[in-house]
Amino acid sequence: MATETQTKNVSVNNFEQCLKCSICTVYCPVSAVTPLYPGPKQAGPDGERYRLKDKEFFNEALKMCLNCKRCEVACPNDVHIGDIIQAARIKYSTQKPKLRDMMLANTDFMGSMASPFAPIVNPMLKLKPVKGILHGVMGIDKHRTFPNYAHQKFETWFKKEAAPQQDQYRKHVTYFHGCYANYNYPQLGKDFVKVMNAVGYGVHLLEKEKCCGVALIANGLAEQAKRQGEVNMASMRKAIAKGHPVLTTSSTCTFTMRDEYDHLLGIDNHDVRDSISLVTRFLQQLIEKGEIKLAFRADYRKRIAYHSACHMERMGWVPYSTRLLRMIPNIDFVMLESQCCGISGTYGFKKENYERSQAIGEGLFQNIKEVHPDCVATECETCKWQIEMSTGVPVMNPISIIAEALDVEETRKLNEK
Amino acid sequence: MKFDVIIIGGGLSGLTASIALAEAGKEVALVSAGQNSLHFGSGSFDLLGFDEQGKAVSEPIAAIAQLSEKHPYKKVQDVEKLAQQAKQLLEKAKIATFGDTTSNHWRITPVGALMPTWLSVEGMVTVQEPNQMPWRKVALINIQNYLDLPTKFLAAGLRERGVEVDVKAFTLPELQALRQSPTEMRSTNIAKVIEQHNLIASVADEVNRLTSNDYDMVLLPAVLGIKSNAQADQLLQLIKTPANYVATLPPSVSGVRIATLLRKRFTELGGTFFTGDQVVEGVWEGETLKGVKTAKLDGTVLEANHFILATGSFMSRGLAADYTHVYEPALGVDVDDLGLDRTNWAKIEVTDPQPYMEMGVKTDANLHCERAGKTIANLYAVGSILSGHNTIKRLDAAGVDMLTALQVVHNIVK
Ligand SMILES: Cc1cc2nc3c(=O)[nH]c(=O)nc-3n(C[C@H](O)[C@H](O)[C@H](O)COP(=O)(O)OP(=O)(O)OC[C@H]3O[C@@H](n4cnc5c(N)ncnc54)[C@H](O)[C@@H]3O)c2cc1C
Ligand code: SF4
Ligand code: SF4
Repeated sequence: MATETQTKNVSVNNFEQCLKCSICTVYCPVSAVTPLYPGPKQAGPDGERYRLKDKEFFNEALKMCLNCKRCEVACPNDVHIGDIIQAARIKYSTQKPKLRDMMLANTDFMGSMASPFAPIVNPMLKLKPVKGILHGVMGIDKHRTFPNYAHQKFETWFKKEAAPQQDQYRKHVTYFHGCYANYNYPQLGKDFVKVMNAVGYGVHLLEKEKCCGVALIANGLAEQAKRQGEVNMASMRKAIAKGHPVLTTSSTCTFTMRDEYDHLLGIDNHDVRDSISLVTRFLQQLIEKGEIKLAFRADYRKRIAYHSACHMERMGWVPYSTRLLRMIPNIDFVMLESQCCGISGTYGFKKENYERSQAIGEGLFQNIKEVHPDCVATECETCKWQIEMSTGVPVMNPISIIAEALDVEETRKLNEK
Repeated sequence: MKFDVIIIGGGLSGLTASIALAEAGKEVALVSAGQNSLHFGSGSFDLLGFDEQGKAVSEPIAAIAQLSEKHPYKKVQDVEKLAQQAKQLLEKAKIATFGDTTSNHWRITPVGALMPTWLSVEGMVTVQEPNQMPWRKVALINIQNYLDLPTKFLAAGLRERGVEVDVKAFTLPELQALRQSPTEMRSTNIAKVIEQHNLIASVADEVNRLTSNDYDMVLLPAVLGIKSNAQADQLLQLIKTPANYVATLPPSVSGVRIATLLRKRFTELGGTFFTGDQVVEGVWEGETLKGVKTAKLDGTVLEANHFILATGSFMSRGLAADYTHVYEPALGVDVDDLGLDRTNWAKIEVTDPQPYMEMGVKTDANLHCERAGKTIANLYAVGSILSGHNTIKRLDAAGVDMLTALQVVHNIVK
């Protein structure tokens, strides 16, 4: 009985495992820049004890949490501090999302509205008066520039230019491109297709892809996120049934679908989770097993600084990407200190968060300036916007770097057998 | 993924081993489930503070020779030489310390006790002789509302030793603002605020305003310099009276800095760091450890020729206990539980020597682990997970961490 009590007495998110050591506080990027935030320990396991007694103890200041999970990575006792905080927001927050939050959160709706009008929308979003309205009326900070919307969506390009050739390959994968590759930066998706085809894999899209929902969760729209998540899971099940693993290029989409679906939204993803992987991890594992080979251009040279995006760090997958990048022969590779860039998806776009967002990123920006790289490598698209805006250094997804450095013909030959 | 050596646990012992192996040209991976005990440290490294009779040690090398055979130091071949290497390893990571193995100096704990220690980071207050305090009159200056420096205890400790102490406090608007979330008025947040707002000169002005050349020492809480010593050094220079830092209750800014700089050194040496991940099982082939599996890498097995277990003691979950036995949860290697049953693991009086403190994994003379009674030739244990010593009663933690780590590196590299 005693043993039973001890071994089975583990609560949701390990909240009773907290030793009150305060290590999480040391690594919280928000705590570091604002005294108004109660910090991970107080907002997480400590506050949870009170909230369990009375929901009145819920504090709206919890919305300042970036959900970066750096506290969880630091905690020696595996307390899911970030999960506790996000779950409390979903359960107790009474604030309704504003129109602005709905807009920022619905990345795919915004994308499908904007893409056809990209030549008009892009310059408009850069105009001073428009930014003024967004700032004043909508609360979207005037310092931010919306990422460009592409005129041709990735999906449209793929169906026209790539899809017909994909069945000729012997092996296949399904690509979850995410909103960013689809609406803002189709080149990322094209790079993905280029590399996968070169190593002998045909690429397919999901029957139905919805935004992973990360921005919906952050903006208090958990119900909608859950509905979208269920659609993704259903499509993924079909792909997996055909024997196709589901690959991604964005760390945050990956993390959300693998971990947040289950922990925060209560979506049952246990049969799908292991088949969702980041493309860099997938390739690194195949190379390690000797199943594929990459050949690189001899003339490719670049000084590359790798930034560990928060959710890469949380997934524990950074070494897959860095080991893959380090295979490129003549690059100069530098690891940046692992720290948050401050944007955290839609967080940094909000007028009330702008200053905090930049203050959080300051350490990283300084580090990048000292290292003086040709480009920063990271798997997170919102990190890309933030770092490019704040340092002027171009940011590339590791798969785009691989695509750029790849000797396609040679790689094809190596993988033909 | 394959490496030359995999280290499990990223505390002082694991980081020391990782850095020394990377310096020796090995391809090293470090897997650590969260941060480590350095975050509670004092800013000093203890080698041996008290002998087995409980007497304070002044000459540690001689006293180490007298320790019983079960103490981990008995598995370190040349304590003096490895201690020097340890100090150099810290220096190369930009952690400047003073002290050596010829004689201990004394650090002052946040509650005003004096403890014999080996190395202290530059700027920390220490004394050579506990019975001869080098100051007549000390100003102990705190930051208003900062609760992790128990000034009453500290002042009482110093007064007991004949020092006149004035306790004062100052604040600045930026520091006062931290009080808006009272739980967040913590050492590391103070350090960040002082750095972000460039408050060094203002802090120095406040301290100078509160002191005069009537004091021969000014003591300040060690709440400066998370990433480097630069600002902490700068402040001491701007203060007109001789000034030093005194350790606070956790989190320890000097400990966080030590951990940060060691991690940075490891990364710069090209080491691979699996952060926030936990080793959950070993992949065995007979008596050889082929690889380890972790909580986050799904199926990926991390393979290596050698493995070092540096997962710490109970508090870091390197050791665990249930209602029937004490065990090592990551790889299931053999644990020395002193042959005690559960009722005798702990003594009621907290200040008594606690038997569980001496429990730890069994190792042979070369620090190899055992599993089901058989020696594992490619698996070593280092640091506070080792059995045979009580870190609280001996004050030997950092020494055991660093020296056993360097010894194992030596055993592997040679
Ligand atoms: C409050 C306090 C104050 C102290 N002050 C001092 C001092 O002033 N001077 C001094 O010399 N010593 C001091 N010590 C002791 C000293 O800090 C520790 O003995 C020493 O740091 C232990 O180092 P370690 O590397 O063996 O283990 P730890 O620092 O405990 O590190 C172990 C690491 O392994 C990780 N880990 C555990 N299990 C796994 C797993 N399965 N997989 C992967 N990783 C895992 C843990 O999360 C942790 O990060 C203090 C200790 C405490 C608790
Ligand atoms: S780091 Fe973990 S154990 Fe420590 S206070 Fe935070 S939640 Fe609790
Ligand atoms: S998730 Fe990030 S912002 Fe939120 S409490 Fe943890 S460390 Fe702080």
